[in-house]
Amino acid sequence: MKLRAHRPWTPYLFILPAGTVLFIFVIVAMVQVAYYSFTRYTAFEPAAWVGLENYRRLLADQRFWFCLINSFLYLLVTPVLIALSLTAALVVHAALRWAKGLRVLLFLPVVTPTIVAAIAWRLLLNENAGLLNTALTTVGLDPVYWLSERPWTLISAMFVTLWKGFGYYMMIFLAGLVAVPKELEEAATVDGAGRGSILLHVTLPALRPLIVLVAIISSISALKVFDELFITIKGAPISHQTVVPLIYDTAFEVGDYGYASAIGVTLFVVVLAFSLVQLKLTERDA
Amino acid sequence: MSRRPLLLTVFMYGLALALAVLAVGPALWLIVIAFSSTASPINQLPAPSELTLSNFTGAWEEADLLRPLINSVLVTVAQAFFNVVLAALAAYPLARMRFRGRSVIFVVILSTIMIPEQVIIVPLFRTVVAMGLYDTLIAVVLPFSVTAFGIFLCRQAFLSIPAELEEAARIDGAHAGHVWLHVMLPLARPALATLAVFSVIGAWSNLLWPLIVLQSQEQFTLPVAINQLLGVFATNVRYAYAGSVLAMLPILLFFLVAQRFLTKGLLAGAVKG
Repeated sequence: MKLRAHRPWTPYLFILPAGTVLFIFVIVAMVQVAYYSFTRYTAFEPAAWVGLENYRRLLADQRFWFCLINSFLYLLVTPVLIALSLTAALVVHAALRWAKGLRVLLFLPVVTPTIVAAIAWRLLLNENAGLLNTALTTVGLDPVYWLSERPWTLISAMFVTLWKGFGYYMMIFLAGLVAVPKELEEAATVDGAGRGSILLHVTLPALRPLIVLVAIISSISALKVFDELFITIKGAPISHQTVVPLIYDTAFEVGDYGYASAIGVTLFVVVLAFSLVQLKLTERDA
Repeated sequence: MSRRPLLLTVFMYGLALALAVLAVGPALWLIVIAFSSTASPINQLPAPSELTLSNFTGAWEEADLLRPLINSVLVTVAQAFFNVVLAALAAYPLARMRFRGRSVIFVVILSTIMIPEQVIIVPLFRTVVAMGLYDTLIAVVLPFSVTAFGIFLCRQAFLSIPAELEEAARIDGAHAGHVWLHVMLPLARPALATLAVFSVIGAWSNLLWPLIVLQSQEQFTLPVAINQLLGVFATNVRYAYAGSVLAMLPILLFFLVAQRFLTKGLLAGAVKG
Protein backbone atom coordinates (compact mmCIF):
# COMPACT_ATOMS: atom_id res chain seq x y z
CA MET A 1 0.00 0.00 0.00
CA LYS A 2 1.36 3.37 -0.90
CA LEU A 3 -0.37 6.48 0.40
CA ARG A 4 0.07 9.59 -1.63
CA ALA A 5 1.43 12.11 0.85
CA HIS A 6 0.22 15.67 0.63
CA ARG A 7 2.60 18.30 -0.66
CA PRO A 8 4.44 20.16 2.09
CA TRP A 9 2.53 23.43 1.61
CA THR A 10 -0.94 21.88 1.25
CA PRO A 11 -1.94 22.20 4.95
CA TYR A 12 -0.93 25.87 5.01
CA LEU A 13 -3.01 26.57 1.90
CA PHE A 14 -6.07 25.13 3.63
CA ILE A 15 -5.52 27.28 6.70
CA LEU A 16 -4.60 30.44 4.79
CA PRO A 17 -8.07 32.03 4.25
CA ALA A 18 -9.30 31.56 7.83
CA GLY A 19 -5.85 32.35 9.19
CA THR A 20 -5.69 35.65 7.31
CA VAL A 21 -9.10 36.77 8.58
CA LEU A 22 -8.38 35.81 12.19
CA PHE A 23 -4.92 37.38 12.00
CA ILE A 24 -6.05 40.76 10.65
CA PHE A 25 -9.39 41.07 12.41
CA VAL A 26 -8.59 39.54 15.80
CA ILE A 27 -4.87 39.29 16.55
CA VAL A 28 -3.65 42.48 14.86
CA ALA A 29 -6.81 44.26 16.07
CA MET A 30 -5.99 43.26 19.65
CA VAL A 31 -2.47 44.69 19.30
CA GLN A 32 -3.95 47.84 17.72
CA VAL A 33 -6.50 48.41 20.49
CA ALA A 34 -3.74 48.07 23.09
CA TYR A 35 -1.62 50.61 21.16
CA TYR A 36 -4.49 53.05 20.62
CA SER A 37 -5.21 52.98 24.34
CA PHE A 38 -1.85 54.70 24.90
CA THR A 39 -2.50 57.42 22.31
CA ARG A 40 -4.56 60.53 21.82
CA TYR A 41 -6.50 59.45 18.77
CA THR A 42 -9.78 60.95 17.60
CA ALA A 43 -11.89 61.09 14.47
CA PHE A 44 -10.13 64.41 13.71
CA GLU A 45 -6.47 63.76 14.56
CA PRO A 46 -4.09 60.83 14.00
CA ALA A 47 -2.82 58.72 16.89
CA ALA A 48 -0.15 60.38 19.06
CA TRP A 49 1.51 58.61 22.01
CA VAL A 50 0.41 59.97 25.40
CA GLY A 51 1.42 57.09 27.66
CA LEU A 52 -1.01 56.36 30.45
CA GLU A 53 -3.11 59.50 30.05
CA ASN A 54 -6.25 57.66 28.90
CA TYR A 55 -6.05 55.31 31.87
CA ARG A 56 -5.54 58.23 34.25
CA ARG A 57 -8.62 59.82 32.73
CA LEU A 58 -10.57 56.58 33.27
CA LEU A 59 -9.83 56.58 36.99
CA ALA A 60 -11.35 60.04 37.35
CA ASP A 61 -14.26 59.52 34.95
CA GLN A 62 -17.54 59.13 36.80
CA ARG A 63 -19.36 57.92 33.67
CA PHE A 64 -16.88 55.08 33.33
CA TRP A 65 -17.29 54.00 36.97
CA PHE A 66 -21.08 54.10 36.69
CA CYS A 67 -20.94 51.90 33.59
CA LEU A 68 -18.41 49.49 35.10
CA ILE A 69 -20.50 49.11 38.26
CA ASN A 70 -23.58 48.59 36.08
CA SER A 71 -21.71 45.88 34.17
CA PHE A 72 -21.03 44.08 37.44
CA LEU A 73 -24.65 44.57 38.56
CA TYR A 74 -25.70 43.09 35.24
CA LEU A 75 -24.01 39.84 36.30
CA LEU A 76 -26.98 39.34 38.64
CA VAL A 77 -28.80 38.13 35.54
CA THR A 78 -26.73 34.93 35.70
CA PRO A 79 -28.27 33.19 38.76
CA VAL A 80 -31.78 34.04 37.57
CA LEU A 81 -30.92 32.75 34.12
CA ILE A 82 -29.63 29.47 35.58
CA ALA A 83 -32.71 29.00 37.78
CA LEU A 84 -35.06 29.73 34.87
CA SER A 85 -33.30 27.57 32.29
CA LEU A 86 -32.83 24.70 34.76
CA THR A 87 -36.54 24.81 35.65
CA ALA A 88 -37.41 24.82 31.95
CA ALA A 89 -35.11 21.84 31.33
CA LEU A 90 -36.63 19.86 34.21
CA VAL A 91 -40.16 20.59 32.96
CA VAL A 92 -39.32 19.58 29.37
CA HIS A 93 -37.44 16.50 30.60
CA ALA A 94 -40.38 15.37 32.76
CA ALA A 95 -41.86 13.74 29.64
CA LEU A 96 -45.18 15.54 29.77
CA ARG A 97 -47.38 15.40 26.75
CA TRP A 98 -46.23 17.92 24.07
CA ALA A 99 -42.73 18.03 25.64
CA LYS A 100 -41.11 18.23 22.22
CA GLY A 101 -43.38 21.06 21.11
CA LEU A 102 -42.69 22.88 24.36
CA ARG A 103 -38.95 22.55 23.79
CA VAL A 104 -39.24 24.16 20.36
CA LEU A 105 -41.53 26.87 21.74
CA LEU A 106 -39.11 27.78 24.53
CA PHE A 107 -36.30 28.06 21.99
CA LEU A 108 -38.15 30.64 19.84
CA PRO A 109 -36.87 33.67 21.83
CA VAL A 110 -33.27 32.50 21.23
CA VAL A 111 -33.85 32.79 17.49
CA THR A 112 -35.64 36.15 17.69
CA PRO A 113 -33.29 39.03 16.77
CA THR A 114 -32.21 40.85 19.93
CA ILE A 115 -33.48 44.19 18.66
CA VAL A 116 -36.94 42.65 18.20
CA ALA A 117 -36.85 41.10 21.68
CA ALA A 118 -35.85 44.48 23.12
CA ILE A 119 -38.64 46.29 21.28
CA ALA A 120 -41.21 43.72 22.44
CA TRP A 121 -40.15 44.28 26.06
CA ARG A 122 -40.04 48.06 25.61
CA LEU A 123 -43.67 47.81 24.63
CA LEU A 124 -44.58 45.74 27.72
CA LEU A 125 -42.54 48.04 29.98
CA ASN A 126 -43.94 51.30 28.59
CA GLU A 127 -44.23 53.57 31.62
CA ASN A 128 -47.59 55.14 30.77
CA ALA A 129 -49.63 52.34 29.35
CA GLY A 130 -47.53 49.17 29.12
CA LEU A 131 -49.05 45.87 30.21
CA LEU A 132 -46.77 45.56 33.25
CA ASN A 133 -47.59 48.97 34.73
CA THR A 134 -51.25 48.44 33.89
CA ALA A 135 -51.13 45.20 35.87
CA LEU A 136 -49.36 46.93 38.78
CA THR A 137 -51.85 49.81 38.99
CA THR A 138 -54.78 47.42 38.64
CA VAL A 139 -53.75 45.63 41.83
CA GLY A 140 -53.25 48.98 43.55
CA LEU A 141 -49.46 49.32 43.30
CA ASP A 142 -47.53 52.32 41.99
CA PRO A 143 -46.33 52.23 38.40
CA VAL A 144 -42.59 51.58 37.96
CA TYR A 145 -40.30 53.81 35.87
CA TRP A 146 -38.88 50.85 33.98
CA LEU A 147 -37.22 52.85 31.23
CA SER A 148 -35.94 55.95 33.00
CA GLU A 149 -35.08 55.29 36.64
CA ARG A 150 -32.17 53.38 38.12
CA PRO A 151 -32.02 50.49 38.92
CA TRP A 152 -35.16 49.66 36.90
CA THR A 153 -33.46 50.52 33.61
CA LEU A 154 -30.88 47.78 34.20
CA ILE A 155 -33.55 45.33 35.33
CA SER A 156 -35.58 46.06 32.20
CA ALA A 157 -32.62 45.24 29.97
CA MET A 158 -32.04 42.09 32.04
CA PHE A 159 -35.61 40.95 31.28
CA VAL A 160 -34.62 40.93 27.61
CA THR A 161 -31.38 39.02 28.27
CA LEU A 162 -33.30 36.49 30.36
CA TRP A 163 -36.06 36.10 27.82
CA LYS A 164 -33.67 35.67 24.92
CA GLY A 165 -31.21 33.45 26.78
CA PHE A 166 -33.03 30.88 28.88
CA GLY A 167 -34.04 28.63 25.97
CA TYR A 168 -30.42 28.25 24.91
CA TYR A 169 -29.15 27.27 28.35
CA MET A 170 -32.16 24.99 28.75
CA MET A 171 -30.85 22.96 25.79
CA ILE A 172 -27.47 22.55 27.50
CA PHE A 173 -29.14 21.36 30.72
CA LEU A 174 -31.40 19.02 28.74
CA ALA A 175 -28.34 17.37 27.21
CA GLY A 176 -27.00 16.93 30.74
CA LEU A 177 -30.27 15.50 32.06
CA VAL A 178 -30.36 12.92 29.28
CA ALA A 179 -26.86 11.85 30.35
CA VAL A 180 -27.68 11.38 34.06
CA PRO A 181 -27.45 7.60 34.62
CA LYS A 182 -30.95 6.16 35.11
CA GLU A 183 -29.53 3.55 37.51
CA LEU A 184 -28.56 6.26 40.00
CA GLU A 185 -32.10 7.59 40.20
CA GLU A 186 -33.56 4.08 40.32
CA ALA A 187 -31.19 3.03 43.08
CA ALA A 188 -32.19 6.08 45.07
CA THR A 189 -35.87 5.25 44.56
CA VAL A 190 -35.30 1.69 45.76
CA ASP A 191 -33.63 3.13 48.84
CA GLY A 192 -36.85 5.01 49.47
CA ALA A 193 -35.75 8.50 48.45
CA GLY A 194 -38.55 10.89 47.50
CA ARG A 195 -38.64 12.87 44.26
CA GLY A 196 -37.47 16.04 45.96
CA SER A 197 -34.44 14.41 47.50
CA ILE A 198 -33.53 12.63 44.25
CA LEU A 199 -33.58 15.99 42.47
CA LEU A 200 -31.50 17.55 45.23
CA HIS A 201 -29.03 14.74 45.88
CA VAL A 202 -28.73 12.92 42.55
CA THR A 203 -29.83 15.04 39.61
CA LEU A 204 -28.47 18.46 40.55
CA PRO A 205 -25.02 17.19 41.61
CA ALA A 206 -24.79 15.33 38.30
CA LEU A 207 -25.51 18.62 36.52
CA ARG A 208 -22.94 20.59 38.52
CA PRO A 209 -20.30 20.81 35.74
CA LEU A 210 -22.94 22.13 33.33
CA ILE A 211 -24.20 24.65 35.88
CA VAL A 212 -20.64 25.97 36.21
CA LEU A 213 -20.32 26.07 32.42
CA VAL A 214 -23.57 28.00 31.99
CA ALA A 215 -22.65 30.38 34.83
CA ILE A 216 -19.41 31.27 33.06
CA ILE A 217 -20.79 31.52 29.50
CA SER A 218 -23.69 33.68 30.63
CA SER A 219 -21.50 35.89 32.84
CA ILE A 220 -19.13 36.59 29.98
CA SER A 221 -21.97 37.41 27.63
CA ALA A 222 -23.53 39.61 30.33
CA LEU A 223 -20.28 41.61 30.43
CA LYS A 224 -20.54 42.06 26.64
CA VAL A 225 -24.17 43.17 26.59
CA PHE A 226 -25.04 45.96 24.14
CA ASP A 227 -28.25 45.51 22.10
CA GLU A 228 -30.52 45.00 25.11
CA LEU A 229 -29.51 48.30 26.72
CA PHE A 230 -29.10 50.28 23.51
CA ILE A 231 -32.65 49.48 22.40
CA THR A 232 -34.67 48.74 25.55
CA ILE A 233 -33.74 51.91 27.44
CA LYS A 234 -32.98 54.10 24.43
CA GLY A 235 -32.99 57.68 25.65
CA ALA A 236 -31.81 56.96 29.19
CA PRO A 237 -28.51 58.70 30.12
CA ILE A 238 -25.21 56.86 29.73
CA SER A 239 -24.96 56.37 33.51
CA HIS A 240 -27.76 53.79 33.15
CA GLN A 241 -25.72 51.79 30.64
CA THR A 242 -22.87 49.29 30.87
CA VAL A 243 -19.32 49.25 29.48
CA VAL A 244 -19.98 48.24 25.85
CA PRO A 245 -22.56 50.99 25.21
CA LEU A 246 -20.00 53.39 26.72
CA ILE A 247 -17.37 52.16 24.23
CA TYR A 248 -19.86 52.66 21.39
CA ASP A 249 -20.77 56.15 22.59
CA THR A 250 -17.16 57.22 23.19
CA ALA A 251 -15.85 55.91 19.86
CA PHE A 252 -18.69 56.50 17.46
CA GLU A 253 -20.78 59.34 18.92
CA VAL A 254 -17.93 61.40 20.43
CA GLY A 255 -15.19 60.13 18.08
CA ASP A 256 -12.59 59.58 20.81
CA TYR A 257 -10.89 56.40 19.59
CA GLY A 258 -7.95 56.44 22.03
CA TYR A 259 -10.13 56.73 25.11
CA ALA A 260 -12.65 54.18 23.80
CA SER A 261 -9.71 51.78 23.27
CA ALA A 262 -8.63 52.19 26.88
CA ILE A 263 -12.17 51.28 27.98
CA GLY A 264 -12.01 48.31 25.59
CA VAL A 265 -8.75 47.06 27.09
CA THR A 266 -10.27 47.36 30.56
CA LEU A 267 -13.24 45.26 29.43
CA PHE A 268 -10.82 42.69 27.99
CA VAL A 269 -9.03 42.38 31.33
CA VAL A 270 -12.34 41.83 33.14
CA VAL A 271 -13.53 39.23 30.62
CA LEU A 272 -10.13 37.50 30.72
CA ALA A 273 -10.32 37.27 34.51
CA PHE A 274 -13.68 35.52 34.16
CA SER A 275 -12.27 33.13 31.53
CA LEU A 276 -9.40 32.21 33.86
CA VAL A 277 -11.83 31.54 36.70
CA GLN A 278 -13.69 29.31 34.23
CA LEU A 279 -10.53 27.35 33.45
CA LYS A 280 -9.82 26.85 37.15
CA LEU A 281 -13.37 25.73 37.90
CA THR A 282 -13.63 23.33 34.97
CA GLU A 283 -10.22 21.86 35.77
CA ARG A 284 -11.43 21.09 39.27
CA ASP A 285 -14.50 19.35 37.85
CA ALA A 286 -12.56 17.24 35.39
CA MET B 1 -39.79 5.10 38.56
CA SER B 2 -43.18 5.06 40.27
CA ARG B 3 -46.05 6.98 38.76
CA ARG B 4 -46.04 10.68 39.29
CA PRO B 5 -48.53 11.87 41.93
CA LEU B 6 -51.44 13.85 40.48
CA LEU B 7 -50.58 17.03 42.34
CA LEU B 8 -47.06 17.05 40.95
CA THR B 9 -48.37 16.44 37.44
CA VAL B 10 -50.73 19.40 37.75
CA PHE B 11 -47.87 21.54 39.06
CA MET B 12 -45.61 20.54 36.17
CA TYR B 13 -48.28 21.35 33.59
CA GLY B 14 -48.83 24.69 35.31
CA LEU B 15 -45.10 25.44 35.05
CA ALA B 16 -45.05 24.32 31.43
CA LEU B 17 -47.94 26.68 30.64
CA ALA B 18 -46.27 29.60 32.46
CA LEU B 19 -42.99 29.04 30.58
CA ALA B 20 -44.82 28.81 27.26
CA VAL B 21 -46.63 32.09 27.95
CA LEU B 22 -43.34 33.72 28.95
CA ALA B 23 -41.63 32.48 25.77
CA VAL B 24 -44.25 33.54 23.23
CA GLY B 25 -46.23 36.23 25.07
CA PRO B 26 -43.99 39.26 24.46
CA ALA B 27 -43.53 38.51 20.76
CA LEU B 28 -47.24 37.80 20.28
CA TRP B 29 -48.18 41.07 21.94
CA LEU B 30 -45.74 42.91 19.69
CA ILE B 31 -47.42 41.34 16.65
CA VAL B 32 -50.89 42.30 17.91
CA ILE B 33 -49.90 45.94 18.45
CA ALA B 34 -48.07 46.06 15.11
CA PHE B 35 -51.37 45.21 13.43
CA SER B 36 -53.43 47.78 15.34
CA SER B 37 -54.00 51.47 14.65
CA THR B 38 -52.86 54.30 16.95
CA ALA B 39 -56.47 54.57 18.15
CA SER B 40 -56.00 51.32 20.04
CA PRO B 41 -54.21 51.54 23.42
CA ILE B 42 -51.11 49.37 23.85
CA ASN B 43 -52.52 47.59 26.90
CA GLN B 44 -55.70 46.30 25.31
CA LEU B 45 -56.57 43.89 22.58
CA PRO B 46 -57.59 46.01 19.59
CA ALA B 47 -61.21 45.99 18.47
CA PRO B 48 -61.66 44.36 15.04
CA SER B 49 -62.21 47.83 13.53
CA GLU B 50 -58.81 48.94 14.85
CA LEU B 51 -56.88 46.22 13.02
CA THR B 52 -54.83 47.66 10.18
CA LEU B 53 -51.88 47.13 7.88
CA SER B 54 -51.05 50.84 7.93
CA ASN B 55 -48.02 50.38 10.21
CA PHE B 56 -46.50 48.04 7.67
CA THR B 57 -47.13 50.34 4.73
CA GLY B 58 -45.93 53.30 6.81
CA ALA B 59 -42.73 51.51 7.82
CA TRP B 60 -42.26 50.42 4.24
CA GLU B 61 -42.46 54.03 3.02
CA GLU B 62 -40.40 55.61 5.79
CA ALA B 63 -37.52 53.11 5.88
CA ASP B 64 -37.93 51.46 2.47
CA LEU B 65 -37.84 48.09 4.21
CA LEU B 66 -37.43 46.08 1.00
CA ARG B 67 -33.81 47.17 0.66
CA PRO B 68 -32.84 46.31 4.27
CA LEU B 69 -34.65 42.99 3.90
CA ILE B 70 -32.61 42.12 0.80
CA ASN B 71 -29.40 43.35 2.45
CA SER B 72 -30.07 41.27 5.55
CA VAL B 73 -30.63 38.16 3.43
CA LEU B 74 -27.40 38.81 1.47
CA VAL B 75 -25.32 39.44 4.58
CA THR B 76 -26.75 36.44 6.40
CA VAL B 77 -26.28 33.99 3.53
CA ALA B 78 -22.74 35.23 2.86
CA GLN B 79 -21.73 35.10 6.50
CA ALA B 80 -23.08 31.57 7.01
CA PHE B 81 -21.47 30.38 3.76
CA PHE B 82 -18.01 31.75 4.60
CA ASN B 83 -18.24 30.64 8.22
CA VAL B 84 -18.79 27.05 7.12
CA VAL B 85 -16.36 26.97 4.18
CA LEU B 86 -13.42 28.80 5.79
CA ALA B 87 -13.80 26.87 9.05
CA ALA B 88 -14.05 23.51 7.27
CA LEU B 89 -11.00 24.34 5.14
CA ALA B 90 -8.84 25.28 8.11
CA ALA B 91 -10.10 22.41 10.25
CA TYR B 92 -9.13 19.68 7.76
CA PRO B 93 -5.33 19.85 8.05
CA LEU B 94 -5.62 20.64 11.77
CA ALA B 95 -7.49 17.36 12.24
CA ARG B 96 -5.89 15.12 9.64
CA MET B 97 -2.44 16.19 8.44
CA ARG B 98 0.98 16.23 10.06
CA PHE B 99 2.92 19.39 9.43
CA ARG B 100 5.31 21.77 11.13
CA GLY B 101 3.64 24.23 13.51
CA ARG B 102 0.31 22.43 13.67
CA SER B 103 -0.21 22.63 17.42
CA VAL B 104 1.03 26.22 17.62
CA ILE B 105 -1.36 27.29 14.87
CA PHE B 106 -4.23 25.49 16.55
CA VAL B 107 -3.54 27.09 19.94
CA VAL B 108 -3.27 30.56 18.40
CA ILE B 109 -6.57 30.06 16.57
CA LEU B 110 -8.27 28.85 19.75
CA SER B 111 -6.91 31.78 21.75
CA THR B 112 -8.83 34.21 19.54
CA ILE B 113 -12.01 32.94 21.26
CA MET B 114 -10.87 34.93 24.31
CA ILE B 115 -11.02 38.26 22.46
CA PRO B 116 -14.57 39.65 22.28
CA GLU B 117 -15.64 41.66 19.24
CA GLN B 118 -16.72 44.50 21.56
CA VAL B 119 -13.14 44.99 22.81
CA ILE B 120 -11.59 45.43 19.36
CA ILE B 121 -14.44 47.35 17.75
CA VAL B 122 -12.35 50.54 17.27
CA PRO B 123 -9.46 48.93 15.32
CA LEU B 124 -11.94 46.81 13.35
CA PHE B 125 -13.64 50.01 12.28
CA ARG B 126 -10.35 51.74 11.42
CA THR B 127 -9.14 48.73 9.41
CA VAL B 128 -12.37 48.51 7.43
CA VAL B 129 -12.19 52.26 6.69
CA ALA B 130 -8.53 51.93 5.63
CA MET B 131 -9.49 49.11 3.27
CA GLY B 132 -12.02 51.43 1.61
CA LEU B 133 -14.90 49.19 2.70
CA TYR B 134 -16.78 51.64 4.95
CA ASP B 135 -20.52 51.68 4.23
CA THR B 136 -20.46 48.44 2.23
CA LEU B 137 -22.06 45.07 2.95
CA ILE B 138 -18.63 43.44 2.53
CA ALA B 139 -17.50 45.34 5.62
CA VAL B 140 -20.38 43.79 7.58
CA VAL B 141 -19.36 40.23 6.66
CA LEU B 142 -15.58 40.20 6.22
CA PRO B 143 -14.31 40.53 9.83
CA PHE B 144 -16.73 37.82 10.98
CA SER B 145 -16.41 35.47 7.99
CA VAL B 146 -14.77 32.82 10.19
CA THR B 147 -14.65 32.12 13.92
CA ALA B 148 -12.37 29.99 16.04
CA PHE B 149 -15.49 28.32 17.41
CA GLY B 150 -16.45 27.20 13.89
CA ILE B 151 -12.97 25.81 13.23
CA PHE B 152 -13.08 23.95 16.55
CA LEU B 153 -16.50 22.47 15.75
CA CYS B 154 -15.39 21.29 12.29
CA ARG B 155 -12.14 19.86 13.64
CA GLN B 156 -14.06 17.80 16.20
CA ALA B 157 -16.32 16.49 13.44
CA PHE B 158 -13.37 15.58 11.18
CA LEU B 159 -11.57 13.84 14.04
CA SER B 160 -14.49 11.46 14.47
CA ILE B 161 -14.45 10.33 10.81
CA PRO B 162 -12.75 6.90 10.45
CA ALA B 163 -9.29 7.26 8.88
CA GLU B 164 -9.88 4.28 6.53
CA LEU B 165 -12.40 6.26 4.47
CA GLU B 166 -9.89 9.00 3.84
CA GLU B 167 -7.06 6.53 3.14
CA ALA B 168 -9.16 4.65 0.61
CA ALA B 169 -9.67 7.84 -1.36
CA ARG B 170 -5.99 8.69 -1.18
CA ILE B 171 -4.91 5.25 -2.39
CA ASP B 172 -7.07 5.94 -5.41
CA GLY B 173 -4.82 8.94 -6.00
CA ALA B 174 -7.21 11.71 -4.97
CA HIS B 175 -5.51 14.93 -3.93
CA ALA B 176 -6.26 16.73 -0.66
CA GLY B 177 -8.84 19.14 -2.11
CA HIS B 178 -10.77 16.26 -3.60
CA VAL B 179 -10.76 14.30 -0.33
CA TRP B 180 -11.93 17.40 1.54
CA LEU B 181 -14.82 18.05 -0.83
CA HIS B 182 -15.98 14.49 -1.54
CA VAL B 183 -15.09 12.59 1.63
CA MET B 184 -14.75 14.91 4.60
CA LEU B 185 -17.52 17.46 3.93
CA PRO B 186 -20.29 14.91 3.29
CA LEU B 187 -19.37 12.92 6.39
CA ALA B 188 -19.26 16.03 8.59
CA ARG B 189 -22.63 17.25 7.36
CA PRO B 190 -24.41 17.33 10.77
CA ALA B 191 -21.70 19.54 12.30
CA LEU B 192 -21.56 21.79 9.24
CA ALA B 193 -25.35 22.18 9.29
CA THR B 194 -25.27 23.13 12.97
CA LEU B 195 -22.58 25.71 12.29
CA ALA B 196 -24.55 27.10 9.34
CA VAL B 197 -27.76 27.41 11.37
CA PHE B 198 -25.94 29.16 14.22
CA SER B 199 -24.26 31.56 11.79
CA VAL B 200 -27.57 32.39 10.13
CA ILE B 201 -29.26 33.16 13.47
CA GLY B 202 -26.31 35.27 14.65
CA ALA B 203 -25.87 37.21 11.42
CA TRP B 204 -29.59 37.96 11.11
CA SER B 205 -29.66 39.45 14.62
CA ASN B 206 -26.38 41.39 14.41
CA LEU B 207 -26.83 45.06 15.36
CA LEU B 208 -23.68 46.63 16.84
CA TRP B 209 -21.23 46.08 13.96
CA PRO B 210 -23.57 46.97 11.06
CA LEU B 211 -24.65 50.04 13.05
CA ILE B 212 -21.01 51.16 13.09
CA VAL B 213 -19.95 50.41 9.51
CA LEU B 214 -23.12 51.26 7.60
CA GLN B 215 -24.07 54.85 6.98
CA SER B 216 -26.35 55.19 3.99
CA GLN B 217 -29.90 53.95 3.99
CA GLU B 218 -29.42 51.77 0.88
CA GLN B 219 -26.86 49.69 2.78
CA PHE B 220 -28.84 49.21 6.01
CA THR B 221 -29.62 45.74 7.27
CA LEU B 222 -33.00 45.16 8.95
CA PRO B 223 -31.83 45.67 12.57
CA VAL B 224 -30.16 48.98 11.61
CA ALA B 225 -33.27 50.12 9.73
CA ILE B 226 -35.48 49.20 12.69
CA ASN B 227 -33.17 51.08 15.02
CA GLN B 228 -33.68 54.12 12.80
CA LEU B 229 -37.46 53.71 12.96
CA LEU B 230 -37.08 53.87 16.74
CA GLY B 231 -34.90 56.99 16.66
CA VAL B 232 -35.66 60.58 17.55
CA PHE B 233 -36.89 61.45 14.07
CA ALA B 234 -39.34 58.55 13.99
CA THR B 235 -42.89 59.57 13.19
CA ASN B 236 -44.69 56.56 14.60
CA VAL B 237 -43.23 53.99 16.97
CA ARG B 238 -45.69 51.40 15.62
CA TYR B 239 -43.69 51.47 12.37
CA ALA B 240 -40.79 50.04 14.38
CA TYR B 241 -43.14 47.32 15.67
CA ALA B 242 -44.15 46.47 12.12
CA GLY B 243 -40.50 46.38 11.07
CA SER B 244 -39.78 44.09 14.02
CA VAL B 245 -42.47 41.64 12.95
CA LEU B 246 -40.97 41.66 9.47
CA ALA B 247 -37.50 40.91 10.90
CA MET B 248 -38.82 38.16 13.17
CA LEU B 249 -40.96 36.09 10.80
CA PRO B 250 -38.30 34.93 8.28
CA ILE B 251 -35.88 33.77 10.96
CA LEU B 252 -38.61 31.97 12.93
CA LEU B 253 -39.69 30.15 9.76
CA PHE B 254 -36.08 29.28 9.01
CA PHE B 255 -35.65 27.93 12.53
CA LEU B 256 -38.79 25.80 12.41
CA VAL B 257 -37.53 24.21 9.19
CA ALA B 258 -33.92 23.81 10.38
CA GLN B 259 -34.46 23.10 14.08
CA ARG B 260 -33.73 19.38 13.94
CA PHE B 261 -30.11 20.14 12.92
CA LEU B 262 -29.75 22.66 15.68
CA THR B 263 -31.21 20.44 18.39
CA LYS B 264 -29.01 17.52 17.40
CA GLY B 265 -25.87 19.64 17.19
CA LEU B 266 -26.56 21.44 20.44
CA LEU B 267 -27.23 18.24 22.33
CA ALA B 268 -24.16 16.51 20.86
CA GLY B 269 -21.90 19.52 21.42
CA ALA B 270 -22.98 20.00 25.01
CA VAL B 271 -22.46 16.38 25.99
CA LYS B 272 -19.02 16.26 24.47
CA GLY B 273 -18.26 19.43 26.43
